[in-house]
Amino acid sequence: MSTHDAHAAFLESASLYAVHALPDDEQRAFEEHLRTCAVCAQELRSFDVVVAALSRGVPQLDPRVSLREAIVASRERAPRMPDRARSASRWGSGWLAAAAILVAAVGLALYTATLRQEITGLRQQLRSALVRLDQADRRLDAATQSVNASQLRIAVLIAPDLARIDLAAQPPAPQAVGRAFWSRARGLVFTASALPPPPVGRTYQVWVITANRPISAGTANPDDRGTITAFFATPPDIPVPVAMAVTDEPEGGVPSPTGNRYLVGAAQ
Amino acid sequence: MWLFWAVIDVTADADQSAVVRMAAGDQAALAEFYDRHGRAVYSLAFRILRDQRDAEEVVQDVFAQAWRESARYNTRRGSVMAWLMTLTRSRAVDRLRGRRSRPENALAADPRAEITDAAALADEQLAWSVRADRVRAALDALPVLQRVAIELAFYEGLTHAEIAARLEEPLGTVKTRIRQGLLKLRERLADS
Repeated sequence: MSTHDAHAAFLESASLYAVHALPDDEQRAFEEHLRTCAVCAQELRSFDVVVAALSRGVPQLDPRVSLREAIVASRERAPRMPDRARSASRWGSGWLAAAAILVAAVGLALYTATLRQEITGLRQQLRSALVRLDQADRRLDAATQSVNASQLRIAVLIAPDLARIDLAAQPPAPQAVGRAFWSRARGLVFTASALPPPPVGRTYQVWVITANRPISAGTANPDDRGTITAFFATPPDIPVPVAMAVTDEPEGGVPSPTGNRYLVGAAQ
Repeated sequence: MWLFWAVIDVTADADQSAVVRMAAGDQAALAEFYDRHGRAVYSLAFRILRDQRDAEEVVQDVFAQAWRESARYNTRRGSVMAWLMTLTRSRAVDRLRGRRSRPENALAADPRAEITDAAALADEQLAWSVRADRVRAALDALPVLQRVAIELAFYEGLTHAEIAARLEEPLGTVKTRIRQGLLKLRERLADS
């Protein structure tokens, strides 16, 4: 390989390096090359924005309060105790004591007023804290849902019993293509592209075909680019799928296929 | 978008100053630093590990390391945030790899089980949530196999060869998918 070719290969590796997709040996070789190649270093830096996005673009969750305590409290200095040294004083004669009582009474009245104000303030704080908590709860719900959806997809794709089924186009949609990943334990991830919108009043239904009968995985509709990406939970006790198919069916789906076939594929 | 960049600039300055103060042993700076980034670190760790307890341990490790290494951190090297995120990803993926060799855990604990700490700066959270939505939209717009390959590398810690084996596809195809996906993301994120 000429130096020029080697450099071209490294330049292509920059993106893979940025998302840590290189195995150890290739990673070390790229790092070695990086030391002497400003062009590759520049290319790598251009992916900083993508890496930051992948790091920060995940659903944001609030950690538990106890975590902050574990991290911060152990290192924070204990707050300084108020200086009590001077509060021990000498109360001598009677009139001084009477004056002190008077001062204490005035002080107490002022103190009560302050307390009332504080309580009003605290009530307001509590109200706004409850509002914030409610908002945080709602954000968390949305985030949890979104995490769950992507977790389900990934869980299928890293399942040890993963099986892949490719689906080919049928006459009603000659451009369409589909692929499914199925794990008995974790369910079905189905993707398809170039599907036309289903006929009015109808929906696409995805079928897992077993030796005995077709089982409905569920219904799905393509987006405006004709793409479907869907996760379906499938019962763990179904027989091994021998094929998959996509048909159009009445809105809401039907127990066994009746409509036109759009995609069909046999298990490998 | 000006609000977002304004907030990021302010945050970057505050980060540099917090790290300098942490290096000098100022514990209040660590508290400030955690309040600013604890949520992002926890969220990334949780995304990778899908387990509350594991994610919490990673967050503790990351802030302990940030505290220890603050003195060695060179403020001209790059953004503190990028440093923190790289640290978080690598700690979380290491833990994930360790876990993969053991039997799978029971389902992750419900993150709503306890009252959460919503004390981080509201403006900053708002700016980041705007950004996170945009990032997710950019990711969602990728062809699904490009996206899955990128996710398997970044969040699952798999190499290109492992991804190819997993998806039963040729290595060259997988490399191309990752690269094309990342180029598209770079373009879309630079546009907006």
